[in-house]
Amino acid sequence: MVSAFEFAPAIALLPLAAFVVALVFGNGMPKKGAYAGILATAGSLLLSLWMFATVAGGEVYNEGLYDWAIGDEITFHFGVLIDPLSALMLVIVSLVALLVHIFSLGYMNAEGETGLRRYYAELGLFTFSMLAFVLADNLLMAFMFFELVGLCSYLLIGFWFRTRSAPSAAKKAFLVTRFGDYFFLIGVVGIGATFGTLTFAGDASFVAEAQSAIEAGETFHGLGAETWVTILGLLVLGGVIGKSAQFPLHTWLPDAMEGPTTVSALIHAATMVAAGVYLVARMFGFYAQSPTALAIIAFVGGFTALFAATMGVVKDDIKQVLAYSTISQYGYMMLGLGVGGYVAGVFHLMNHAFFKALLFLGAGAVIILMHHEQDMWKMGGLKDRAPVAYYTFLAGSLALAGIVPFSGFWSKDEILYDALILGLEEPIFLAAYAMGLVAVFFTGFYTFRMVFLTFHGNPRSEAARDPHPLGMNVKIPLIVLGVLAVVAGAANLAPVYKLAGLDITFLEHWLDGAYTDGMEGMTYHEYSEMTGYETGYIGSETITLLIGAALSLGLAFGGAGLAYILYNVPEPKAHTENLGSARTVLRSNYYQDEVQVWIAEGLTLPVARMADRFDQSVIDGVVNGVSSVSLFGSGGMKRLQTGVVTNYAALIVLGFIALVVGLGVYGGWFV
Amino acid sequence: MTVEIHYYVLLSAALFCIGLFGVLTRRNALMFLMSVEIMLNAANINLIAFAFYHGNLSGQVFALFTMALAAAEVAVGLGIILVLYRNFRDVDVTVPSAMRW
Repeated sequence: MVSAFEFAPAIALLPLAAFVVALVFGNGMPKKGAYAGILATAGSLLLSLWMFATVAGGEVYNEGLYDWAIGDEITFHFGVLIDPLSALMLVIVSLVALLVHIFSLGYMNAEGETGLRRYYAELGLFTFSMLAFVLADNLLMAFMFFELVGLCSYLLIGFWFRTRSAPSAAKKAFLVTRFGDYFFLIGVVGIGATFGTLTFAGDASFVAEAQSAIEAGETFHGLGAETWVTILGLLVLGGVIGKSAQFPLHTWLPDAMEGPTTVSALIHAATMVAAGVYLVARMFGFYAQSPTALAIIAFVGGFTALFAATMGVVKDDIKQVLAYSTISQYGYMMLGLGVGGYVAGVFHLMNHAFFKALLFLGAGAVIILMHHEQDMWKMGGLKDRAPVAYYTFLAGSLALAGIVPFSGFWSKDEILYDALILGLEEPIFLAAYAMGLVAVFFTGFYTFRMVFLTFHGNPRSEAARDPHPLGMNVKIPLIVLGVLAVVAGAANLAPVYKLAGLDITFLEHWLDGAYTDGMEGMTYHEYSEMTGYETGYIGSETITLLIGAALSLGLAFGGAGLAYILYNVPEPKAHTENLGSARTVLRSNYYQDEVQVWIAEGLTLPVARMADRFDQSVIDGVVNGVSSVSLFGSGGMKRLQTGVVTNYAALIVLGFIALVVGLGVYGGWFV
Repeated sequence: MTVEIHYYVLLSAALFCIGLFGVLTRRNALMFLMSVEIMLNAANINLIAFAFYHGNLSGQVFALFTMALAAAEVAVGLGIILVLYRNFRDVDVTVPSAMRW
């Protein structure tokens, strides 16, 4: 019997084959290579589900496949690691990729786009890179595919490269994420140099090495082992912050909305942006050993969650609202991981992948309905004209806003609960919790502002009165994701477990290795012990839980209710005008682009100029000085060669006499 | 009666200095070549004198080799002088000074 895991590389290689097929034969194929992509991702999904079932059957797989560089101290290899976390992520990625491919038939093909061969080839390449990143069993391989998804993101954002804005947005996304990736690369080198291994799991992993180094009290470069682990962890975190669009490297994501909406759904909502958070979860054992790194993760996450949510409130473009909401939701995941809520973070990652892909595809459907109009003020009244789009979008919005019992509520509530019980013991985390809690209100508000402006009220433009019809290839992905957005929360009903005692926290058991053997050091409980976090309660666990849930639910309803009052009217007005100067600040995104440009032009450029001047004058001056001295010297010396034989003879004789005299002086003849 | 060894050395040194003086001062290539020959023969005198002094024949044999070499050198030198004359219509060694920087 062949093991299911033998086929694991095929999960990633199928989309690679689709990439090649679409690239080479795309123009001659029906739908320009879409079917190749759909077949390949469907195959990946089936294989992923098989892996999932096998992992559920109690096996994990951790194998090196190919050593591509063998050294004395360290060996670089490609390998596959399939444990509950990566099996879950594989299913999420391949499912969303498949649905996006199907949706593309309606969004791209039906609209008569040119360059479809390029589009499907790049989509295939992205799916390959993302799945290979998820499968990676070592940090270097993860880094390589991390970069490759960044490249695909760049290519796909710039899909409409003939416009002015898309190439510039693509370049911005590439450069900003690359800025974070520099730190990631240094972190990878540092981890490899310190621990001599880059594998994630097993006895010889860098996580285990770091743990034993801390226990043995070793020092690296004069620093304690824990400090060194913190530094390495923060370096890797640089890549995470860039890729998962966390403050301060989030500015690329809203601009990335220049790409096709399908691309936004796949790359900039469900999968690639998740790569950063997934990486933190992947090496959570490493971060768990450094309370400082975890606290920084929590605060970056909490701050980003609030910060991005406030900016989402004033946007008029439906995709911009979703972009800021994505940044904010990834902030929640980072907050969850930072407070030790490994399960909560991964749970929200899963739910968010479903409901945000749904919302983006829903926005894509709206854009089809509206004949490629994205301004929400020109929509309205689409509720009755496109019921499938409306109800699926509503399901996603309820999940996003965190309304019980939709999926987003369960995961967001769990993150906030984990932050609260940690904050009660270590009050500093209460600040991160508070930021996350306030963000709930803004999330509820901007989500329902979007829903009401888009679907309710009277149509405010000709396109909204007579929308373009939607095909089945648009509706099916929406319905699948809509169902998932409603029910995915059932994977881990932790509050119900704590209140009613029903044992239905499947995801926690799943990530705790309850169904599998052979994942020592990588289970939720071991992570919790490593972090060494103490938790406290108000009264009892149940009361704390109820207070936390009531607070977040109340705020979500508050935000949604405010949006209902302000915008669920036949002719909504632009109430954000009343915010005055605050609105200007928010619409300018807190002037962060300006700040970043200032950092580049006002700070980096003068420093670079000074370095250039130093290089030109001092460094080059020394080099040129040395050479001009030798040039001048040799210019004088060469005149010895006169071309006249007699002079040479005289020189030989004089030289000989000088030699004899010299020998005589040293030999003591004249003493 | 035998001549003392230091007379040979003095003769040889005198001949060598005459040859050296010629090499350094003469411009005529033929005189140049002759001066070189005088220096060679000064060395030969030394070789033979000391061979006689030590009762060892190898110095005299060596002098024979030197003579053969000198003959060959003269042949080459005269060849160079002929070419020199053909190119410059002159045998002054300071005229051809193109082979320099």
